[in-house]
Amino acid sequence: MPSIRVVNLKKYFGKVKAVDGISFEVKDGEFVALLGPSGCGKTTTLLMLAGIYKPTGGEIWFDDQLMNDVPPKFREIGMVFQNYALYPHMTIYENIAFPLRAKKMEEGEIKKRVYDVAKKLMIEKLLDRKPGQISGGQQQRVALARALIKQPKVLLFDEPLSNLDAKLRMMMRAEIKKLQEDLGITSVYVTHDQAEAMTMASRIVVFNKGKIMQYGTPDEVYRNPKNLFVATFIGNPAMNLIRNLSYIRKDGRAFLISKSLHLELPEDVAKKIEEAKKQEGLVLGFRPEDAEIVHEESGLGFWAYVYVLEPLGRDLIINLKVSETDELIKVFAESGVVVDKDEKVFVKLRPEGIHVFDSETEELIV
Amino acid sequence: MRLSFYQRHADKIRIFLFILIMFAITSPIILSYAWLILRSFSVDMNGFIPTKLTIKNWRFLWSEIKGYPNIWKTTFNTAFVAVMVMLLEMIMTSMGGYALSRFDFPGRTSMMKFILVLHAFPSVSLMVAIYYVLKYLNMLDNLWGIILLKAALETPWATWVMKGFYDGIPWEMEWAGLVDGYSRFQVWRKIILPLVKPGVAVTAVFAFLSGWSEFIFINTFIFSQEFWTLSKYVKATIGDFRFADYGLLSAVGVFYALPTIILFFFVSKYMIKLTIGGVKG
Repeated sequence: MPSIRVVNLKKYFGKVKAVDGISFEVKDGEFVALLGPSGCGKTTTLLMLAGIYKPTGGEIWFDDQLMNDVPPKFREIGMVFQNYALYPHMTIYENIAFPLRAKKMEEGEIKKRVYDVAKKLMIEKLLDRKPGQISGGQQQRVALARALIKQPKVLLFDEPLSNLDAKLRMMMRAEIKKLQEDLGITSVYVTHDQAEAMTMASRIVVFNKGKIMQYGTPDEVYRNPKNLFVATFIGNPAMNLIRNLSYIRKDGRAFLISKSLHLELPEDVAKKIEEAKKQEGLVLGFRPEDAEIVHEESGLGFWAYVYVLEPLGRDLIINLKVSETDELIKVFAESGVVVDKDEKVFVKLRPEGIHVFDSETEELIV
Repeated sequence: MRLSFYQRHADKIRIFLFILIMFAITSPIILSYAWLILRSFSVDMNGFIPTKLTIKNWRFLWSEIKGYPNIWKTTFNTAFVAVMVMLLEMIMTSMGGYALSRFDFPGRTSMMKFILVLHAFPSVSLMVAIYYVLKYLNMLDNLWGIILLKAALETPWATWVMKGFYDGIPWEMEWAGLVDGYSRFQVWRKIILPLVKPGVAVTAVFAFLSGWSEFIFINTFIFSQEFWTLSKYVKATIGDFRFADYGLLSAVGVFYALPTIILFFFVSKYMIKLTIGGVKG
């Protein structure tokens, strides 16, 4: 299986810069997700990998072969589309056999291969039907079978699960991941669902507005977001942000302050802020699980009042506000925790869960 | 609770009234066809009542009538024009519609606007110009001249209609075909074309009917009886230099309309399912 290397790839549609100079690498047999909001250029990138769109600039390499001008049929790729793109006038059998017919394969061999792959995906009973006569989940499997039948070297997925209902999506998520692991085919998976990207991919490319925001393992992008976009896009609920903070040093101790908030910082965090030479316009970020609600002041943290409670069964999300005008802060608590509405509580932060961003560049400082 | 007669049968009464109105609107057409058919089997008519039945009016089917060409030769000419116009239009519009829908070439938008404007011109106004063109091409008094003319005049509009059908096919379908190992042309032939079959059928039926019913160009640019089509034959029965033979006129008229009616019965089910410009599923 080839590795994929994308170098400074660009795609402009007229004046619109759909993809604007991106570079990343997919290792041999790796499963990489392209994650981002709709219209961020992730699907355009995938279509360039498939050879359907011609890049405006930059290079696409499969191993040591430059692919820019290679038409799709010579790329040995399989692709699964969001709407499955099954051919409605052909039976399921003909749909799956279609890529093999392009290779002028002998009929006996085609039949054997179609039955093999149909069995693996548990659709062998549907082979005589037409795509309009089977369910969405089954169509999904047929699309997968059609992508796999010619034994591609690279698999490309374009939001393959977003047309399925939530339960089926969870199931197919695991199945596709297992299939990819078993076959070891280099795979690129486009999705706007961060849960899908986190659970399936070994590395995630986070996109926004045609540019790469961060490239790393799910853990890296979750734990160490490089900028505000990644911090807020990844994680559910998203990372809490408190904006418009200033940094001051008083009596040798370091603080982040605003009108309503006063937070003492650990020394190592303070040092980094000083190194970045930023005083104003700082943003504090922390994940809902990196904070704890307590009733008296202890360690790092700040006071806030309870706004509303969201019970989730196993956990409880406590929504807080520092003051009337601030954004909501969400904190996970175990369902046993007792707090009252409007009660003033202390939000205690884990020191390693503290992130500070520069609101101008949106980049991470600490 | 007491309801009035109208309230109890509201739906039925409404449908009955609806049918009555529709019948009143369509009756001029229905009645004129009924008259035509009855007249073709009678010696003379007293209003809507045939005075005496006969099949003499249909004699043109089995015998030559003086001053007219052979009916079967004429029918063949008509079918030849209709089928050729249909084939030409099918080939050109199925490809042209795809190009208009899928390719982004310079002048595409202005071309589409131009087609609309072009369609607004009545073809009669082109008559003199067409005469010179056909003369230059040595195609006067030649059925191929008529065929090319009809196809040329109708293709732009039909291409526009086909474009609508192609627009309804998602791009992914095409991309899937490319990834599956086919060339653009193969994808068009094996995947996209079968999906716009309803559009091709609509175009074909309209093209056939317009070829079948063509009169003005035939009347103007065809001079020899051996190249007459049925429309010209009907026109001749009304007569410039002879008395109108209403019996013959009716019979030939019915004969002329017959294929159209038969065709309609075959395709009506298919056509009603369509809205021009889209495919379901």
